[in-house]
Amino acid sequence: MPERERALQSLQSTPRDVGPTADDLLTLVARGDEAAFERLYDVVSGSVFGLIRRVVRDQAQSEEVFQEVMLEVWRTATRFDAERGSANAWILTLTHRRAVDRVRSAQAATHREDRAARLDPGRPFDEVSEQVDGKLEQRQVRRCLSFLTDLQRESVLLAYYQGYSYPEVASLLGIPLGTVKTRMRDGLIRLRDCMGVTG
Amino acid sequence: MRTTSADLHTLTGAYAVNALSDTERAAFEAHLGGCGSCSQEVAELAATAARLGAAVESPPPPQLRARVLAAAAETRQVSPHVPKIADRRRLRWAGGLLAAACLAAVVVVTVQNVETSDERRLAQLSSEYSRFSDLLSTPDAKLISGTAPNGATGTAVVSASRDEALFLAKNLPQPADGKTYQLWLIGADGERSAGLVVPGSGPSVVTGLAGTERVALTVEPAGGSEKPTTVPVMSMSIV
Repeated sequence: MPERERALQSLQSTPRDVGPTADDLLTLVARGDEAAFERLYDVVSGSVFGLIRRVVRDQAQSEEVFQEVMLEVWRTATRFDAERGSANAWILTLTHRRAVDRVRSAQAATHREDRAARLDPGRPFDEVSEQVDGKLEQRQVRRCLSFLTDLQRESVLLAYYQGYSYPEVASLLGIPLGTVKTRMRDGLIRLRDCMGVTG
Repeated sequence: MRTTSADLHTLTGAYAVNALSDTERAAFEAHLGGCGSCSQEVAELAATAARLGAAVESPPPPQLRARVLAAAAETRQVSPHVPKIADRRRLRWAGGLLAAACLAAVVVVTVQNVETSDERRLAQLSSEYSRFSDLLSTPDAKLISGTAPNGATGTAVVSASRDEALFLAKNLPQPADGKTYQLWLIGADGERSAGLVVPGSGPSVVTGLAGTERVALTVEPAGGSEKPTTVPVMSMSIV
C-alpha cells in the first residue's frame, strides 16, 4: 500500500477525510466489488481489530473474531442501509456484538464466579481511561467522557469495553438493575450530544 | 401499555452497548420494529458507542489481510432485502399484531428482570418468543383478547392455516397455594387441556385447533385436572 494512502488511513476518523469514505466503499462492496472491499479493509481494520482486542483481550482469539467479522462485513454488506446510519457505525456495531458474543460464550464455558471475583471494581475504569487517551479521536472521546457522572461513565465503559451484561455491571458497581439501565442510556445520550453524533 | 413501553425504552442504552442477554435483545428488537422514536435513539446511541470503539484503534497482524481478502473472494454475499408491497388490509392488521408483539416483548422482559439467573428458562422463553413472532407473520393470523374480573388480560394469536395458537396472559395474579392456572380448548366435543399457565411466563403454544371454539383459563388444584373443575376466570371465542 502506498505511503500516502497509509497516511490517509490514519486520518480516516477525522471529518476532513479525502477520497472514498467507508460509506462509499461499503456501498460498492454490497455490489460485490472486491477492490472496494480491499480498500475498506484498509480503512476500518484498525478500529475493528482494536475494539475486538480490547474486549476479547486474548490475541489468538481476537484474530479469529477479527477474520469472522471482516468476512461478515463482506457477506452482509448487501444489508447495509445508509439511511439508517454510517458504515463505520454499522461495522463497529457488528464488531462489538461479535466480540461480546465471544466473551460471553467463553465465559459460559468457564466459571462465571472466577472472573467476577478477580475483578476489583475500581480498576477497570482507570484502565479504560488510560486506554482512551492519545490521538485526536481519542482526545475528543476522553473529553466527552469527562462530562458524564462517575456512574454513567463506569456503566457505559464496563459494558462496552469489558463486554459485561447490565446485571454484571450492576453487581460490580453495587447498584440496582434499573439504575444501571438508566445510567447507560443517560451516559450515552450525554456522549452523543457532546460528540454531535446524529443517527 | 404506557409504563411497559417506557420500561422498554430505557433499554436503548443497554442495547446499544450489547449489555442485554440474547432473550432481551430479541424482545427489544421486536419492540423497535413498532417504535419509531426508539429506532432513532438506538441508531444514535449505537453510533455513539461506535465512537468508543474507534477510539481504541490497533492494527491487526499484517498477514490477516491476504487471508481475509482470499476468504471474501470465495464467499457468496447474502441477497439484499427487497421491500414488500403491503396492501391496506394487511397494514390494518399490522397495528393490532404489533400490539401483541409488544405485549409478548413485555412478558419476556419482565420475566428476565426478575430471574436473570435462570438461563434454561430464558432459553425456552426465547424459542417460544420467536415462535410467537413467526406466527404473527402468517397472513391469516387473528388477534383475540379478553379480560378477567381480577384485571388480568389475555391475548391469543390464532392461525388457522398453521393450526396453531399462542396464548399469553398479563397481570395474572399468583394462584393460591396448592392451585394452578390451566388453559383449555373448548369445542362441541368438550374440553381439552392445553397445559398449565404460570403467571409471568412466556406464551402457551397450542396446536391441533380443529373443532375448537373457545379458549378458557381456570384455576385448578396443583398439577392440573382432567376436566375443568371451576368456572373459567377468562374465556375467549376464537372463531
